[in-house]
Amino acid sequence: MSNFTAAEIRRQVERFLPKVLKPSRYLGSEWNAIRKDWDKTEVQMAFAFPDVYEVGMSHLGTRILYHLVNSFPEFLCERVFAPWVDMEETLRAKGIPLYALESFQPLKAFDVVGFTLQYEMSYTNILNMLDLAGIPMRTEERGPEDPWIIAGGPCAFNPEPLVGFVDFFLIGESEEQLPEVLRLIAEQKKQPVSRKDFLVRVAQVQGVYVPEFYHVSYKADGRIEKIESEAGVPAVVEKAIVQDLDQAFFPTNPVVPYMEIVHDRMMLEVMRGCSRGCRFCQAGMLYRPVRERSLETLMKQTEELVRSTGYDQVALTSLSSGDYTCIRPVIENILEKHGAEGVGVSLPSLRVDSFDVGLADTVQKARKSGLTFAPEAGSQRLRDVINKGVTEENLLTAVEEAFKKGWSTIKLYFMVGLPTETQEDIDGIVDLAKKVANLGTKLGRRNITVTISTSFFVPKPHTPFQWEPQESKASVDLKQRYLRDKLRDRRLKYSYHDVKTSYLEAVFAKGDRRLAPLLEWAVKHGCRFDGWSEHFHEEVWMEGFKELGIDPHFYANRAVDYDDILPWDHLESGVTKQFMMEEHHRALQETKTIDCRYDQCTGCGICPGRGVQIELKG
Amino acid sequence: MRLRIAYTKIEDARYIAHLDLTRVFERAIRRAGIHMSYSEGFNPRPKISFGFALAVGTEGEREYVDVDLEQDMDLGEVLGRVQEQLPPGIRLLQVSALNQGAKPLMAVLNAASYRMRVPMALPIQAERLQEAVGAWLAREHVTFSRYSKKGPTDKDIRPWIKQLEAEIRGDEIVFELEVEMGNAGSVRPEEVLASLRELENLPLDLEALQIKRTGVHVSYQGEKKSPIDEA
Repeated sequence: MSNFTAAEIRRQVERFLPKVLKPSRYLGSEWNAIRKDWDKTEVQMAFAFPDVYEVGMSHLGTRILYHLVNSFPEFLCERVFAPWVDMEETLRAKGIPLYALESFQPLKAFDVVGFTLQYEMSYTNILNMLDLAGIPMRTEERGPEDPWIIAGGPCAFNPEPLVGFVDFFLIGESEEQLPEVLRLIAEQKKQPVSRKDFLVRVAQVQGVYVPEFYHVSYKADGRIEKIESEAGVPAVVEKAIVQDLDQAFFPTNPVVPYMEIVHDRMMLEVMRGCSRGCRFCQAGMLYRPVRERSLETLMKQTEELVRSTGYDQVALTSLSSGDYTCIRPVIENILEKHGAEGVGVSLPSLRVDSFDVGLADTVQKARKSGLTFAPEAGSQRLRDVINKGVTEENLLTAVEEAFKKGWSTIKLYFMVGLPTETQEDIDGIVDLAKKVANLGTKLGRRNITVTISTSFFVPKPHTPFQWEPQESKASVDLKQRYLRDKLRDRRLKYSYHDVKTSYLEAVFAKGDRRLAPLLEWAVKHGCRFDGWSEHFHEEVWMEGFKELGIDPHFYANRAVDYDDILPWDHLESGVTKQFMMEEHHRALQETKTIDCRYDQCTGCGICPGRGVQIELKG
Repeated sequence: MRLRIAYTKIEDARYIAHLDLTRVFERAIRRAGIHMSYSEGFNPRPKISFGFALAVGTEGEREYVDVDLEQDMDLGEVLGRVQEQLPPGIRLLQVSALNQGAKPLMAVLNAASYRMRVPMALPIQAERLQEAVGAWLAREHVTFSRYSKKGPTDKDIRPWIKQLEAEIRGDEIVFELEVEMGNAGSVRPEEVLASLRELENLPLDLEALQIKRTGVHVSYQGEKKSPIDEA
């Protein structure tokens, strides 16, 4: 990889672009893409999404941060995605380094490359992208001319498997934190101090975690003995948090891709956080407390989005949009104001107990494409264990309403392998599916399709189930096969998520920094796009574990003790460990915990601990 | 009001796939604040229809699209407002209102012309080039094997060729090709060159081939017309 200029990269890429799949992934000239003058900005950042373009462009956080950084005249932000395998092959064959979309500048030319960590299975893509860019993978092999490699997103709450590759992590919400970090980088460019001094400085920013200042030692049995921080950095890194979501930056001129992407529509973030308290849900813990945007803000943003994008659909996004207190007025106002222009509304996530068929009917006026519900578990007992707070009656009422209103396609999501799960719970999935289908038949609906989809429970850090082991692959595989046999009915369709990737996901979710060499090994042996089943090579991973003497069961299938030090104990979401232990107890006792939004405080610790509070607008 | 618009699809826009082009226009028109007519039924879509698909990576100097608007509007204003909302490489060239009952583009277009620039793999003389093209055109049938998922299929491509001319410019050969197009299909320009290389031993460096579609036409009895003039 010699020193390619942007112009040279562009010239070479143009020659083979027609020959790769979906070339419009690699252009950077989409509507609303921001092309700034490189030389007139102080800091150049590449925002890197370690998956393919159409996945990355569908991610709201990517849109927010790209436009946020570019909203500062002194900063420039460009995008880069993992090139699809055919593009990678061509880039490697021609020796062209990975480049950022807008300017075709090689990644190496940027001051900072920021990866977003959405999914453990994309970790190999990060290393592969660094390699494609000609940037050394290991922090200690990088020189002052190389960019800072940083990363944020939900997986940054346990980023330990990436320690050694990433210089520092941004934990929590980045709207205020990232600009602060970029200001420090600008300063560093003007008056450089040593690498170490810079890292100490940046570690003072709320939520910035510089792993090399934290030293981990291990016991003979492999468990962590202690995590010690160096002087001058916080012993525990606390997440960054946006105080006033209503006034927080939100892009109303997002990039509109040429090609169809996964979520090809306007996205309006109506609220952040969820206090339902499902005990398996990491996002529900990480994004606390619940903060809503006001109706006025959302209407103004919708107006701007429609004008700037030309999209015909606006999705009201959040972890549980049915809970947003102004949901009805928002939908009605949008349809009243923009319906005539052909603009519709979609609600991606609806809970059964807050399901309002009138609402669903309003948003899906023309297209009754199907409704999705997530009971998650097949029995009431298990739903109480996970604190889903949804009853069979809720579900059947919602489904009955839906059938009556004309829907005939219902999707039901379940998890298999949840803590305390028994055969009865598995049979409960079958019963529920049949009850739903029978209800449709009874109501005289023809062509009913009930899709039952199961995924494999992955215990996640910072949740009440973080101490739980993942069930063995073999056992969950049997359960999914059993379901496949039991769900034979022409009205039912069963699909299940691959057990093998979920197993590896658990290993990395609960992993520590001793897994870093394995990632490097896997990338060297061709692993990438591991979340894509056609590119996932289980045998290579298993060989890697063996070769490096790492036991995957230690991470995925071991019940962790309350006294054990967790690899992420020095990183805080604001929800206390004490609360999560209590929640874990309540789970095992099959006791529900209420939603603090509508009732009293449950003492999770976020509001007093971070000086924030729940903010409802309705 | 139904409009027929002529536009370019050049520069970065040449990488936009045909199916994505509908979305690009639809969104540009919506951003321009112009209301389109929608289809009836289950899943209403704006009424936009294009002519022949252009291969990804091939530039088009004059392509056409039909768009239905909800109301009558000043043509110049439509053109101006939509142009402002289009990505680089798509330039609107001409617009006209269609008569009631005008046939859709796909029903009237039946020919296309291409300009192809190919570097010579070995130097050749102008006479030799003309001889080769003449000999190729003189063939009554030209069999070409197309490879698809089902395996190779032989196809006679000669009947689709209306015109083929070649000229040496520097170390390149510039071909001007006119082909018939229709419901029964057509011939791809790169197939014509591959066949020329093979049957007439022309040393063409097809790896570096550049193709541009210079126009699509309504052609009959030896006369070529634009679908805008024809409507």
